[in-house]
Amino acid sequence: MAIVVKLDEVLHDRRMSLTELAEKVDITLANLSILKTGKARAIRFSTLEAICATLGCQPGDLLAFEPD
Amino acid sequence: MAGSKSTALPIAYVSLRILIVLNWIYGAAILGLVTFTFFNEAWFMRAIDVPAGTDAAPIMIGLRAIAFLGLLAVPINHAILTRLLRMVETVGRGDPFVAANAYRVNAIAWALLALQLLSLAIGGIGKAIASKQFPMHLDAGFSTSGWLAVILTFVLARVFAEGTLMREDLEGTI
Repeated sequence: MAIVVKLDEVLHDRRMSLTELAEKVDITLANLSILKTGKARAIRFSTLEAICATLGCQPGDLLAFEPD
Repeated sequence: MAGSKSTALPIAYVSLRILIVLNWIYGAAILGLVTFTFFNEAWFMRAIDVPAGTDAAPIMIGLRAIAFLGLLAVPINHAILTRLLRMVETVGRGDPFVAANAYRVNAIAWALLALQLLSLAIGGIGKAIASKQFPMHLDAGFSTSGWLAVILTFVLARVFAEGTLMREDLEGTI
């Protein structure tokens, strides 16, 4: 997958668990886990906005493009 | 609306089950009839009102060919009915928009096409063996609604496939 999700790293920097984030952004832990492991097909702007607002980061901090 | 949905599904399921059995009975009946013609051709000719003095050989060959084509329709009908049944089952499970159903609709479209071709062949044979002495009216041949159904089913299969892909994308969207 050329698009890499770096949610794990951002969470680590913020000392926040996935469960805490799930509660704050009102997204199920299962869905956040899918996103974190890079198994999601797409991400809604509203989801991205909620995560960025909670973690105080930019979309570029969460996603990166890595050529295959 | 919910009431009609809840009753329509079991009715469709039971109807399809009955039609599957009737289809095989229909096939067995044709097979039995064709087999019988080999043992008692004269009786059969009288039964279908072939006038005396008419050359029975081409009529018999034609009728047996029609029966053979009718037998070919049995597995095709079975393929259609069983796929429809599987689709009804997926609706019952609340998950009909799956790739398997898109393939099923596509397979049904090909089966309907095959049935239309069989119908054309049967209609052609019927016309070939019909005469003034032995007029024969078969419910077969070119059917505008039949071919429209074929085209419609192919289009629906494509729509279903696209819809399934969109649904998969939606499911993978967080």
